[in-house]
Amino acid sequence: MSAAHGAALIVFSLGLCAGLAVCAPGRGTATAPERTPYLGGYAPETHAWSRFHVRYYGMALLFLAFDMEMVFMYPWAVVFAEEGMIAFVEMLMFIVILLLGILYAWRERALAWA
Amino acid sequence: MGLTAFARLAAKAPAPVFVARGANARSLAFELSGTGDVVLTQTPRHACVLLATGAFPDSMVPALRQIHDQMSHPRGVVLAGAHFRGHGPRGVFSDPVVVTPEGDVHDAVVVLHRDLILGRRPSAPPLLPDRDPTPWRGVGPYGQGGKGMTGGTPYGRPLAGLADDRDGLKLDALELRLGPFLPMFPPGLTLTIKLQGDVVQQARVGDNPFRTDERVSVGARSSVFVRALSGPVTIRELEHARAAHHLERVGEALRAAGLGALGERADRLAANIERVEAAAVRRLHRLLRRSRTLAWATSGVGRLEPDRVAGRGLGLVARACGLPEDLRTQDGAYNELGFSPLVEGGGDACARWRLRLAEVAQSLLLASAAGTRTTGGTGSVESPWGSISSDHAPVGSLLELLPGMLEGSDWGDVITTIVSLDLDLEEAART
Repeated sequence: MSAAHGAALIVFSLGLCAGLAVCAPGRGTATAPERTPYLGGYAPETHAWSRFHVRYYGMALLFLAFDMEMVFMYPWAVVFAEEGMIAFVEMLMFIVILLLGILYAWRERALAWA
Repeated sequence: MGLTAFARLAAKAPAPVFVARGANARSLAFELSGTGDVVLTQTPRHACVLLATGAFPDSMVPALRQIHDQMSHPRGVVLAGAHFRGHGPRGVFSDPVVVTPEGDVHDAVVVLHRDLILGRRPSAPPLLPDRDPTPWRGVGPYGQGGKGMTGGTPYGRPLAGLADDRDGLKLDALELRLGPFLPMFPPGLTLTIKLQGDVVQQARVGDNPFRTDERVSVGARSSVFVRALSGPVTIRELEHARAAHHLERVGEALRAAGLGALGERADRLAANIERVEAAAVRRLHRLLRRSRTLAWATSGVGRLEPDRVAGRGLGLVARACGLPEDLRTQDGAYNELGFSPLVEGGGDACARWRLRLAEVAQSLLLASAAGTRTTGGTGSVESPWGSISSDHAPVGSLLELLPGMLEGSDWGDVITTIVSLDLDLEEAART
């Protein structure tokens, strides 16, 4: 048996021990009040499974747009040295157009949380 | 063998403590923190020791039992100056550690935690039956199936109801009843709020549990102000009590803002108020004024317009709206000391904590200049909560204003507003 096999066996047995220690019977399971969410002393009267407005979604979309822009910058960076000024101006135009979009969103209060 | 070594190691860790405060609770924050071997937790789930202090009216006992059972094993209870009506010194618990008034709460907590971890003391058994409010039962023969997303009513708790969102959408409104043992809330405050996301759509203040026919004595610190209603007290004593009270409130506000170390510094000043110089408070004030984060987190939060507070005797809250309302201006002894009320504009949480610290420094200067001058006995006194008399408690007016201040704000701003107002329910129950 190689050293790699031995190491794998040790890791596996340690994991098994840790798993058994966690699952070991002894203290019993949690009672109903122990499972109840903590609200300062009262039990919740409605279930927490509720639909609410994800207010950060505008920001999430903007993040995605700029994330993809960064992806576009990788191939651009590869050819930047060869193309020189033209590549620089093209990227500048691209970023300025995106920036105008952000300023528009800002003016329309799309970035406000509440 | 190996597990015993682990247990010994775990016993050396700081003891996680959840503090449940009733009326006339001892201010334990300073006694417990500072040494590093006790940590105050925000929920009972993270705690190993439940520390109950103060008088608990019958209406608070079910909630106390609930938080006791919400602690994980091993768990234990320490009672420090805790009183329960119709129960012995052990209260509603099976085997608590009772600390005498002269006893050291800090030591009792640390020793209990070590004994629990090392298995020298059994974990406290549950006080409530292991029964869900209603079992989760669907329509099928094995409890499965039914209408709605979950197929039935989960444990008797219906799903949140629909309500109009401010963006014109129909989304769920979650109704929560919070308190009376929420660490950021003043003891006994219960708040029923309707949340959509993290925005409060509706807020309702629950009944004051301390307003009962049970005799609930007011706290040792506030009693100076109550005593001043009927007879003379020295200005020195009164102003020291005021400064300590405001510093404790600033400490609470700082802890709620996540600035625990600065909160501890305010508590330390409050605990040694008779030896503290005004310059030490000013240093803390300057430090906090420089914090842009704190100013950003509290500016514009919980704003009160001057016309809503004028003439209601709200003291510091009114002065933070720019209104120079202070009963001390009508007192000859204070006039001799050259007293004039401090005011701050804005009327928001930021103005309130700034004014609180400025008034602490002012109170310390008044106390040191007062000599043997006395005040009081006129039937009304300027207390830290405003102008009190035997039939007027300004906290009651603040509790009426509270729902209007909270509606439309984020959950974080709810906490900031509540800690900035100093809503002492015990004081509200005095009248």
